[in-house]
Amino acid sequence: MILINLISLFLLYYLKKSVGSEGFPAHLHRYFTYGMIAAAALMIAGVARVPPAFLFQLFSLVLIGAIIYLILNTPELKHLRTIAITPLPIVGVQALEYLVSTFSPGIFDIIDNYFDAAGFFALIWAVTMGLNHRKQIKEVEIERMISKEQERQLRNTAEQKSQLEMLVAERTSEILSQKEELQETLDHLRSTQEQLIQQEKLASLGQLTAGIAHEIKNPLNFVNNFSELSADFLQEISEEMPKIPDSPEKETILGLLENIKSNLGKIRHHGSRADGIVRSMLMHSRGGTGTMEPTDLNALIREYANLAFHGMRANPNPINVDVQLDLDEKLPLIKLNAEDFSRVILNLVKNAFDAMRDKILVQGSEYKAKVTIRTKDLGNQVQIQVEDNGPGVPEQIRDKLLMPFFTTKKGTEGTGLGLSITHDIINAHEGSLEIKSEEGKYTLFNILLPKANS
Amino acid sequence: MKILFVDDEPDVEALFRQKFRKEIKNGLFELAFAFSGKEALEALEEENPPKFVYVFSDINMPGMSGLELLNQIKARFPHIQVSMISAYGDHENYDKAMSSGAKGFFTKPVDFEKLKSEISSLITANE
Repeated sequence: MILINLISLFLLYYLKKSVGSEGFPAHLHRYFTYGMIAAAALMIAGVARVPPAFLFQLFSLVLIGAIIYLILNTPELKHLRTIAITPLPIVGVQALEYLVSTFSPGIFDIIDNYFDAAGFFALIWAVTMGLNHRKQIKEVEIERMISKEQERQLRNTAEQKSQLEMLVAERTSEILSQKEELQETLDHLRSTQEQLIQQEKLASLGQLTAGIAHEIKNPLNFVNNFSELSADFLQEISEEMPKIPDSPEKETILGLLENIKSNLGKIRHHGSRADGIVRSMLMHSRGGTGTMEPTDLNALIREYANLAFHGMRANPNPINVDVQLDLDEKLPLIKLNAEDFSRVILNLVKNAFDAMRDKILVQGSEYKAKVTIRTKDLGNQVQIQVEDNGPGVPEQIRDKLLMPFFTTKKGTEGTGLGLSITHDIINAHEGSLEIKSEEGKYTLFNILLPKANS
Repeated sequence: MKILFVDDEPDVEALFRQKFRKEIKNGLFELAFAFSGKEALEALEEENPPKFVYVFSDINMPGMSGLELLNQIKARFPHIQVSMISAYGDHENYDKAMSSGAKGFFTKPVDFEKLKSEISSLITANE
């Protein structure tokens, strides 16, 4: 019967341990504690043989019966039912043994062997059940861990989701502000484009004006020259007049000649006026409000080639380029509109970069892009060359290159005005621009500027 | 001594003849006029060697331009002096004319005093 009490003690201890303290009815805990004290007391009593054996055995059986009853009838302990069933056969055998030995010891002696066998089987049953229970508990534990892990993952997911939502909101507002910026830039570009078109119109109007002015200048010269000559003739006439005897007709003629003389003076005067207007028209159509100043061309080229290079590197799709400067250091100061002429250098170098970028896209990294800028003193002229080893210019479009709005660049990448403006600026400096190229090998822009006006 | 003026404007003849009337009257020189490069070459070819010593030519003319005429005269009659008269006093024309052997370059409207001194220096050189 000590075994029964040991089982009781173990069951109670196990129950107490496995239910934990959280959310578990306090009165059950109390029961466990009291039960354990009772089991311990019974064990001590049993060992000391204090009460009569039948009473001690009865109490022991009642205690374990109560414990098993408690486990089976408490909803909170439902998951521990197997542990209640485990010692049931042992208890049953012991109870039967107790009943038989108490009420008819004669029969007990006869079937004692059977009780021993039953006890043995009950023990095996208990061990099996115990192992089974352990396995179940472990499974439950694993399940609990899995569900805990799933819960944690769910929480993480929810957290990540809210973080993502915040990020999305942030990005959305960023994109919106970028869109606004882009819209602004677009508007700016549109107005710039309109200005460019307007300027282009003005430029062609300027050329037209220059042509008209020249055409007017020729006949105007005749007007002025002939009126001057006629005035000279009148002078000669007035020198001859005294030789003719006076008469009323002579008086009339002299009066008329006087009128003609003053009329010729007026013709000459207004002719000169018109000439002045034509002159200023010509000067205006040549453009230059910018001042032509003696300029260090090499320094200008160094500065703007550098600027073009770094501008290209800072913009989308930068390329690796070797920029070589081969400048004639003996170059004198050249009279230039530095502001305008810097655009020439920028445009030509930028064009070279764009062309070579296309070649890089086709040929890959084997191709080494290179731009060479040279200056040379040619005596009464200065030579400036911008040469690239890019894809070259096909012959059929070479003469179109300088036309306004002609572009080989895709979409909106080029305005088609760069080279046209470049050409205009060189013309304004009374220089010339020549394009040499071989497809697949090189393109060379050759600029000649007169030194005579420096 | 003969001087040839080449210009596609016919009124140039009246203007120059009147401007130089005194010099012509005094027999300092004779003036002839041609209204195209082709006419000018025909006039020069009339006599061999030509009596002309100086040609003044406009640059912008239909057909043969003054610069072409200059090259032809320099090739065929190297001793004849040629000067250009142009409304377009740009450097390109100037440089082309000078490198092709022009003696002078006058811009329109013509400064007749300059032209007269050019011609008289030629006369003194010839004498």
